[in-house]
Amino acid sequence: MKIIASFQSVFRGRIMAKLGAFWLLLIAFAALAAPLIAPFDPLEIDPVMRLSEPGLPYLMGTDHFGRDTFSRAIYGARMTVFIGLGSVLVALLAGGTIGMISAYFTRVGNVLMRGVDVLMAFPALLMALVLMTLLERSLMNTVIVIGIVYATTTARILFGMTLKLKGEVFVDAAICSGAGHGSVLFKHILPNLVSPLLVQASFIFAFAQLQAAALDFLGLGLPPEIPSWGNMLSEERIYVTRAPWLLLYPGILIILSVFSMNLVGDAMRDSIDPRFKDDIAGV
Amino acid sequence: MALLEVENLHISVASNGKLLPVVQGISFTVDEGETLGIVGESGCGKSLTSLAIMGLLEGTTVRITGGSIRFAGRELLTLSPKDRRAIMGDQMAMIFQEPMTSLNPVYRVGDQIAEVLLQHRDMTKAQARTRAIELLELVRIPDPEQRVDSFPHLLSGGQRQRVMIAMALACDPKILIADEPTTALDVTVQKEVLDLMRDLQTRMGTAIVLISHDLGVISQTCDKVSVMYRGRIVESAKTIDLFSDMRHPYALGLLNSIPVVDHDVEWLEAIPGRVPLIDEEVSGCAFHPRCARAIERCKIELPADDVVGVDHSVACHLALGIAQ
Repeated sequence: MKIIASFQSVFRGRIMAKLGAFWLLLIAFAALAAPLIAPFDPLEIDPVMRLSEPGLPYLMGTDHFGRDTFSRAIYGARMTVFIGLGSVLVALLAGGTIGMISAYFTRVGNVLMRGVDVLMAFPALLMALVLMTLLERSLMNTVIVIGIVYATTTARILFGMTLKLKGEVFVDAAICSGAGHGSVLFKHILPNLVSPLLVQASFIFAFAQLQAAALDFLGLGLPPEIPSWGNMLSEERIYVTRAPWLLLYPGILIILSVFSMNLVGDAMRDSIDPRFKDDIAGV
Repeated sequence: MALLEVENLHISVASNGKLLPVVQGISFTVDEGETLGIVGESGCGKSLTSLAIMGLLEGTTVRITGGSIRFAGRELLTLSPKDRRAIMGDQMAMIFQEPMTSLNPVYRVGDQIAEVLLQHRDMTKAQARTRAIELLELVRIPDPEQRVDSFPHLLSGGQRQRVMIAMALACDPKILIADEPTTALDVTVQKEVLDLMRDLQTRMGTAIVLISHDLGVISQTCDKVSVMYRGRIVESAKTIDLFSDMRHPYALGLLNSIPVVDHDVEWLEAIPGRVPLIDEEVSGCAFHPRCARAIERCKIELPADDVVGVDHSVACHLALGIAQ
């Protein structure tokens, strides 16, 4: 009941957010059911049919190896979802832990947060590039690196919010009733952070897509044999004049997914932050 | 042996590398089942004293720089965090000034009460819930069976303060520290909450330290009173003795600044001036710059506690000469 009610409060009257959510559900479905939907094996090479135009049977045409772009795009959705969820998980776990602990134990926090500041001094993409050059190209490493990049901002945000919650009287009241540090942090403070964490997760999910696509495009993300939207862009970019659709389709997919995630994230943020309520007239 | 003994307690605030004294050697005792009122204006150190007793100053810029706080004979200031946690909520409990923020907004009130019970008592969740309902009934929340599943934002300020009281009394503590428990409430609700506290005290035999700036609240509720001014106790006595034979000019000033409904007065008497800032040094008696009766000696010498009656002491050079 509570979940239904909060869904309603996020999506009610926000048509764009609904469309965004619809698109994301579609992507999630494609990712889950990829082997069932994809008409061809995404890795199957057919040199005869290379660079064929969109039509039948190749809905989105074929690439320079003659692989079906539509099937590759559907399998690419898997990577999108996996990288998105994985990076969110890494960022929230690492960043959330650092942020909360730093705010709660101020002495440790002074050291930890200065470290976070140093990391934040690097532009996100630059840091991801540096880390990826040190590591092997793999799905896991991509997820971890993007997760770490966004862990810094998560740590900052949670640091501030935990600091504020730590000063709340109910925390003092919990200490007065005999709660220890662990209980105060996880039972009393953490549940109050769930909504901002969800919002943060939605934005990380969106940015992770862009970051992953950029890394793939620069040849430092996923190994080239994995069909991902970024890899598709990267591999086919030299055919942009002969077969522009090879770049158009993955590009559109990336844009739509990031945009949809942002729309949903905005709606979530607005629904928990009354200052952004657009149904309050005149403000 | 008294239940709670505070002896020569000093508290300082660290600021720019200096320690500024805020509480300067206060002592008091509370016996079982007794109510002590601590009264004074904002910034006199009364709240810090309560936070010190409950160990809530840890991790702040405020330091306890001397003295001792003993509960049932055990020194609290040197107690290990684990031992302290075992006492907190079980034998000592506290209620706060802001009922609006003292409950966690994400938990149902029943769960918050139950948590204290689960922490200190060997109970199942179902037993704790039953006990939570009993406690809500005890603090006179209507429909406790329903209210136990309410979130705090659905309750009024008075109801939330009652829930806080229920939480504090869940484990039948020996002492309850109440820091301005009624300040944020309407006068009518204030009276109900005070009545409730008094009623529960006689039933459960809990000792109470009531901290307030309101002499009216104190006079109705407490067995004895300590008046604080700028980190020191300037007068302490049994409530009856204090109000019949108040000596300290500051305490008298507080009393005279209370509006009395059936007296038709044009002007209320106010205490002139303001409390000195904590980094301002005042020689002699800290109250002398605002005191109408101050003599030369007040500016130089800190007054010692003069005993003017049974359990009645006043820190004023003129105490023996002043009578109401």
